[in-house]
Amino acid sequence: MNDFWLALLGMTCITFSCRYLFFSKTVPFELGPKIKRLLSYTAPSVLTAMWVPIVFLGHQQTNSNFITSPFLIAGVATVIFSLKVKNTLAVVMFGMGIFGALKVLF
Amino acid sequence: MSDRTAIAKGSFPSDFKTMNRAIIDIFPLALAVVPWGVLCGSLAINIGLTPLQAQLMSLLVFAGAAQLAALTILGAVGSLSSIYSSTFVISSRHLLYSAVFRDHVRKSSLGLRCSIAFFLTDEMFAVTCAYMEKTKSFSAVYALSSGITFYLIWNISTFAGIIAGQHIPNLEHLGLEFAIAATFIAIVMPTIKNWSTLIAIISSGLSAILFSLFIKEYALIAATFIGMLFGYLTKDKESIDE
Repeated sequence: MNDFWLALLGMTCITFSCRYLFFSKTVPFELGPKIKRLLSYTAPSVLTAMWVPIVFLGHQQTNSNFITSPFLIAGVATVIFSLKVKNTLAVVMFGMGIFGALKVLF
Repeated sequence: MSDRTAIAKGSFPSDFKTMNRAIIDIFPLALAVVPWGVLCGSLAINIGLTPLQAQLMSLLVFAGAAQLAALTILGAVGSLSSIYSSTFVISSRHLLYSAVFRDHVRKSSLGLRCSIAFFLTDEMFAVTCAYMEKTKSFSAVYALSSGITFYLIWNISTFAGIIAGQHIPNLEHLGLEFAIAATFIAIVMPTIKNWSTLIAIISSGLSAILFSLFIKEYALIAATFIGMLFGYLTKDKESIDE
């Protein structure tokens, strides 16, 4: 786990640099509108690339059926609920509640 | 709500009001990441990090998605380079936030610039932009207050996760992993306001499934790039009516 400290140091530098870069007085360039547009899709793409495998491949770790997997059912329910309700906390609580209930039931 | 005069502007009571406003505004967003912070703490313990290492990650890196991705890679004994590259890709959206705040922050002192940068998160950016739109001016007090509030709650929930991870075996079976999915769904779905974002999400989601089956270590980065590219290439002629 020696690598951990290197990983931590690197990650600290990378996250801080991304946040600080354009605050620096020595950075002469600006982001063009094209780059800005490209970057505006990063957050939705990254987050989706993280939640989709949990919902659709989650059944693999528990060796359950794809269709009856609590990950899939609760995930789809959360997506539908999030279309109706915009409150982040309410959506998270709803999703966790459904998932917990399914875990208890099956 | 406020009937501030020119004299009151920038004075202590007004700053205090701004701080209050910032804390009230960011609080619901901060509460929503509590399960996520708990997960980061307990997952870190689960893959064999010490409590100190787990807490330092939240104290120094302070980036939920990047931390979670790194922990998953560390747990699977992935390479340093895959940790660095996924951290960069995940954090690259902060370049955009940094560029947006640039003109408002650039003339400030080095200390203030570093502080605002350190506390710059999706949530802090979102509330600060909304406040900026409302008051027509950037407030460093507002940005810092909301950022620090978020930082405290993030670290307290990480700490709770560390404690839970040490005392409750197999905590992840209680569904904390699903909490990431639920949190991200809750954050992503409301951002779908036009076709290009929808296309970005669908393409990154589909490719994430495909890549997870084949090139696990770089699946996240590859899927993110594809989502960004497809979103970028989609022309927004009309917005989706809700």
